[in-house]
Amino acid sequence: MAQSTLKNVKYVGMTTCVPKRILSNIDDCPPHMQSERERLVRNIGISHRRICSEWQCFSDLAFVATEKLLEEIGWQKEDVEALIVVTQSPDYLIPATAIILQDRLKLTKTTIAFDVNLGCSGYPFALYILGCMISAGTIKKGLVLVGDKCATVIDPLFSDAGTATALEYDPSAPPMYFDLNSDGSGYQAIMLPVGGHRQPTAVHHLVPHKDENGNWRTEAGLILDGPAVLSFSTQQIPPAVNHLLQYSGYDKDKIDYFLFHQANRMINETIRKKLGLTPEKVPMTLHDFGNTSGASIPVTMTARIRESLESGHKTLLLSGFGIGLSWGSCVIEIEGAKFPELIEA
Amino acid sequence: MDSIETFIEKFTEAVDFQEPVPLTAETDLRDLPEWDSLAALGVIVMCDMEYSKTITGNDLVGCVVLNDIYKLVS
Repeated sequence: MAQSTLKNVKYVGMTTCVPKRILSNIDDCPPHMQSERERLVRNIGISHRRICSEWQCFSDLAFVATEKLLEEIGWQKEDVEALIVVTQSPDYLIPATAIILQDRLKLTKTTIAFDVNLGCSGYPFALYILGCMISAGTIKKGLVLVGDKCATVIDPLFSDAGTATALEYDPSAPPMYFDLNSDGSGYQAIMLPVGGHRQPTAVHHLVPHKDENGNWRTEAGLILDGPAVLSFSTQQIPPAVNHLLQYSGYDKDKIDYFLFHQANRMINETIRKKLGLTPEKVPMTLHDFGNTSGASIPVTMTARIRESLESGHKTLLLSGFGIGLSWGSCVIEIEGAKFPELIEA
Repeated sequence: MDSIETFIEKFTEAVDFQEPVPLTAETDLRDLPEWDSLAALGVIVMCDMEYSKTITGNDLVGCVVLNDIYKLVS
């Protein structure tokens, strides 16, 4: 997409909910793998992760986050005209989780509710989709719920979280600037190859076998081409951020915080260094919360800078990137928005 | 361009060996205990940041000895 500007959209508030259960990448791995795991943690920068209980879905976290957000910003249930869920962890393959949540949250039946299938790049896209609906003025208030249930005990990267963000129509709101992109030629870099219509699940997909690295896996498991994802992220994101800065007219020094998707330390540090940003301007949550997919930008806002965001006017550059391949960035100004403390459920 | 000795220093840091390993230009990468996917990520970042060279996972698969990676960034 060429860059785009949205007017009349106010960022009202955001809440993050993570599972209570904490996994340690060091302590929760077999003793014989300890040394290798310590090297891994040093390099990916992820020490602890959050993982849902067996019964818990992403939507359960998002539900708690939404209830808290509505209470904090003082909206009534009937005020919400749109509910957009951005996740790759729906309750069911069909119907859409957003529609189930419309009823569960006791929103009115006139609410527009639908899901968007995006992962790590999802947060800027979520703000854009709802922002477009609000900018025109036909919808005055809406919510976007972003996050995933993607943690497993074995995989050291991923972590669970659910977030809720409120946007409303306000002609006096500063513009939001976006740069959103897609490259489907890289779809095989991160994918679940089995379970869709192209390759329905068969019994043999569930039989574990040893891969070339000696790890047990099934054909139904997640494929993640680490070098391809790293190259994509570190080659595409710095120029995309610079293009957006140029388009929006903001000097790099005028941005209070740069919030990047929390992928892994190697990727995030390479992007930061290429852009010449100081660590103080680039909050991180990898160490304590891992890679929470589309939720990682709001998780970082809540866990690291919520008090600063509530203390006065702030200009933020948000940038998400990953599965698709898909990447999106935006510049938003925030003032007077509510950022409740991190919720554990 | 860095000498092969300097390149080996940077390679050693990028791979993050758990125990010191003697390395030369002719060291076979498959003999290195830590020559894994994590090491590949470290080396790709090192080539990008230190030598402004974009190399891929497939480029590394085609490398047999350390000098083959050095040639990629030279």
